[in-house]
Amino acid sequence: MLFNNNDFDFSFFEIPGSEFQLEIDRNKFANPNQGFQKGNMMTNEYIPYRNFNAVKLVPKNDREQKMLKVMEYAFAITDLNLYLDIHPDDIDAYRLYQRYIEEGKKAQQDYINSYGPLTISNANFKTYEWENNPWPWDDKEGDMYV
Amino acid sequence: MFKYIKHTNYPINIQKKDVKMAKYLITQFGGPNGELAASMRYFSQKFNMPDEKGKALLNDIATEELGHCEMIATMVHQLTKDATIEELEACGLGSMFTEHGKGIYPTDSNGVPFTVSYFAVTGDVIADIQEDMAAEQKARAVYENLIDLTDDEDLIGPLLWLRQREVVHFNRFQELYNHYKKLGY
Repeated sequence: MLFNNNDFDFSFFEIPGSEFQLEIDRNKFANPNQGFQKGNMMTNEYIPYRNFNAVKLVPKNDREQKMLKVMEYAFAITDLNLYLDIHPDDIDAYRLYQRYIEEGKKAQQDYINSYGPLTISNANFKTYEWENNPWPWDDKEGDMYV
Repeated sequence: MFKYIKHTNYPINIQKKDVKMAKYLITQFGGPNGELAASMRYFSQKFNMPDEKGKALLNDIATEELGHCEMIATMVHQLTKDATIEELEACGLGSMFTEHGKGIYPTDSNGVPFTVSYFAVTGDVIADIQEDMAAEQKARAVYENLIDLTDDEDLIGPLLWLRQREVVHFNRFQELYNHYKKLGY
């Protein structure tokens, strides 16, 4: 998997029905899924190491699928955040940033509803769930939870 | 202030015990080019940044690096949690076990504990940001050395990802540096 030539297609954006995205320079920003796997939202700044390809993350179950979405949006927001710190006038980047914050909130809520709190503010449960395992450094049942 | 989110920046799920790699990897937590030094370097320098761009960037990268500390510590924990004392000793971690058991203690790969002297805060914007740029390149180089030392895909995935973050951070620091040079610093 790691060494396969899994070329990423940066020509599409995975969020459907978002009109503004059609206006955005598609060669400049990766979508959250592809950007996350490479560790870089800026397509023209990606520098691979030797002949290594970024790992294609394949979730094994519902929990991993939902966590992966949470991580992807959190990453996209972080990377655009750093970019916007230096380029606050890049309106395309800011619109993507706004969009991913909204999508990220939905992804977080989706995970929380099924698998428990992600922050201490998530307390819509009958009992105190925050301390329950797994913590990110645990790899309970081989889950790619972390 | 800081708010904890209960997930790592990037998935870590290491299946194979590997004490030797744990011994090497710990340096990216507590070594001279590690994530703890990076996080505290930017965290400490941010208070002296002269404008909003510098304050924001150093604050935000410091925050991301704190998450990277957790990633490295998680990797070391998962690589060693099932190791026997004999296996730890065989890989030169007997003295580490003496002091810390199987706790995760920030050292370099030689067992030298973390020290704040790994980074500088000069009060000079140009000097500080040039150090930050160099720090990102040094961390990238160490990640490449670590990738060369293993063939475990569970390790290579997060290491490639962390290496790429150094590339991104370098670019942002370089842009900040150019911004301040243009302003006459």
